[in-house]
Amino acid sequence: MHFAFEDEHLRFRDSVRGVLDRVCAPAAVRKVWEDAPAHDAGRWRALAELGLLGLLAPERAGGLGLDEVSMVLALEETGRAALPEAIVDTALVAVPLLAGLEDHGIADPWLGRIAAGEVVVGVGCQPNPWVAHADAAELLLLVDRDEIHALPRAEVRSEPLPHLDAAQRLFRVAWTPSARTRVAAGAHGRRLHAAAVDRGALGAAAQLLGVAARLIEEAVGYAKQREQFGREIGSFQAIKHRLANARVRLEFARPVVYRAAFGIARDLPARGRDASHAKLVAADAAAFAARAALQVHGAIGYTWEVDLHVWMKRAWALETTWGTSGWHRGRLAAAVLDPHEEAS
Amino acid sequence: MKILATVKRVPDPETSIKVKPDGSGIVADNIKWVVNPFDEIAVEESLRIKEKVAGSEVVLVSVGAKVAQEQLRTGLAMGADRAILVVAEDGLEPLAVARVLVKVIESEQPDLVVMGKQSIDDDSNAVGQMAAELLGWPQATFASKLELAGDQKTATVTREVDGGLETLSFPLPGIVTTDLRLNEPRYASLPGIMKARKKELKEIEVGALGVDVAPKARLVKMEPPPKRQAGKKVASVEELVHLLHTEAKVI
Repeated sequence: MHFAFEDEHLRFRDSVRGVLDRVCAPAAVRKVWEDAPAHDAGRWRALAELGLLGLLAPERAGGLGLDEVSMVLALEETGRAALPEAIVDTALVAVPLLAGLEDHGIADPWLGRIAAGEVVVGVGCQPNPWVAHADAAELLLLVDRDEIHALPRAEVRSEPLPHLDAAQRLFRVAWTPSARTRVAAGAHGRRLHAAAVDRGALGAAAQLLGVAARLIEEAVGYAKQREQFGREIGSFQAIKHRLANARVRLEFARPVVYRAAFGIARDLPARGRDASHAKLVAADAAAFAARAALQVHGAIGYTWEVDLHVWMKRAWALETTWGTSGWHRGRLAAAVLDPHEEAS
Repeated sequence: MKILATVKRVPDPETSIKVKPDGSGIVADNIKWVVNPFDEIAVEESLRIKEKVAGSEVVLVSVGAKVAQEQLRTGLAMGADRAILVVAEDGLEPLAVARVLVKVIESEQPDLVVMGKQSIDDDSNAVGQMAAELLGWPQATFASKLELAGDQKTATVTREVDGGLETLSFPLPGIVTTDLRLNEPRYASLPGIMKARKKELKEIEVGALGVDVAPKARLVKMEPPPKRQAGKKVASVEELVHLLHTEAKVI
């Protein structure tokens, strides 16, 4: 099968990159590390105006009715910019989950507001129990066994958790399931939950690709200007090979992530396996790029003077988001050893 | 109101440009091509006028190779209504481009033409002025602010000139060329990108216009600028002043 992105996908990626360069420069992310709120209404609206937040929402609810293949390159850019906002949980996970509810009366008003950039939605379920940006979320979608519940923020108790990536906010959420808050149950609830996990893993994987790409860019830029022994350090083979290896890992991870996006968009039987595979290889590529970038920078890479830590810590944090590598390895092993079980 | 905005395909300013070994031009392989940044500002300004004046139409024009369709689609994705590409595979000189533009302007009859003040590849800064002269239209170049009268019969343009600002007012139709500070161009949204696919992009062969586009000049040689020399560290202010006086001869 030949797979390639269309011109429109590439053009949209360029637009998202351009907007993020304006509204999410490293200085803005550093400010979140220091004291600024992680959710910025202006940044969120800028992404909504591009069409990113409502990309997966049905047209009847004010969305664009497109699929994950149209979104994956844009999500890569959000990783490249180390966007602090909960874009994956809201735009990639919550939107299709809401759209999949049988009662459009509940879902459509929320979908319209998400597409317009008015709302953040938090999602909590296994294997991603801690809710990202619950402090900014107006609606929380929470899973209890085979039930999906929708709760306004006022009906949950959120406790902030320490996080190695200070641009992200994580919360332990306490809540009480009830018939009033239940929006899906049984086989339907299980299907929505499984789809949410696959999409969350895909989103984290796409962002990891962007993080890896940015780490390599930063390291290459530094290797071109830092001189030692009278030459740019990038001219030494030890540096060149290390960075080339990082780039190779990234380029080998990309098609795996794109295949997962395609499988989820087409609801293929292997979508869960492919999503786990994508998360694993993308996390591996980002971890390798982080190590390589740190080595290329040397001691200055450990300091606050350079922005490297913004992406290194994002790479490490994303590795544990929407399923750790161990969890995904287990799911992948199950799919390989008992494909019939996985496909069902 | 009909506004015509120009779009030129140029190498991305972020791209590292290499000159061909024989000096006959630049190496065009593996270059990312974009809309000339000053033309992007022209498109943005045209769209802002369209958003203010109900019933307006923004038409894009490019003169260049067939691949310039890509840059016209970018402008259409930003929100322009339709586009015209005058296909000229060989690069044209400014006067030839101006003559071609005049033909298009005569056919389209716009109320206002907005152009980048120059393209970042050739830096000629000539087409807007030449087209205005050929048409006998008023022109305001290097615009950092553009305002239209309520009846859209007059334009007022602020220009950045040495030592201050100059404000010009002129009757329409006319030609305005844009400076960097006129606006910050928008990025195309996904709905805009999808709509652009279906918008009209008309192609006209340059030969069909019947204008003289024969080159008047010959490119003799291109060469890259000399490599920047490393700076010099000085021990004191006195030494710096002395070197600025005796070596750099700037004070």
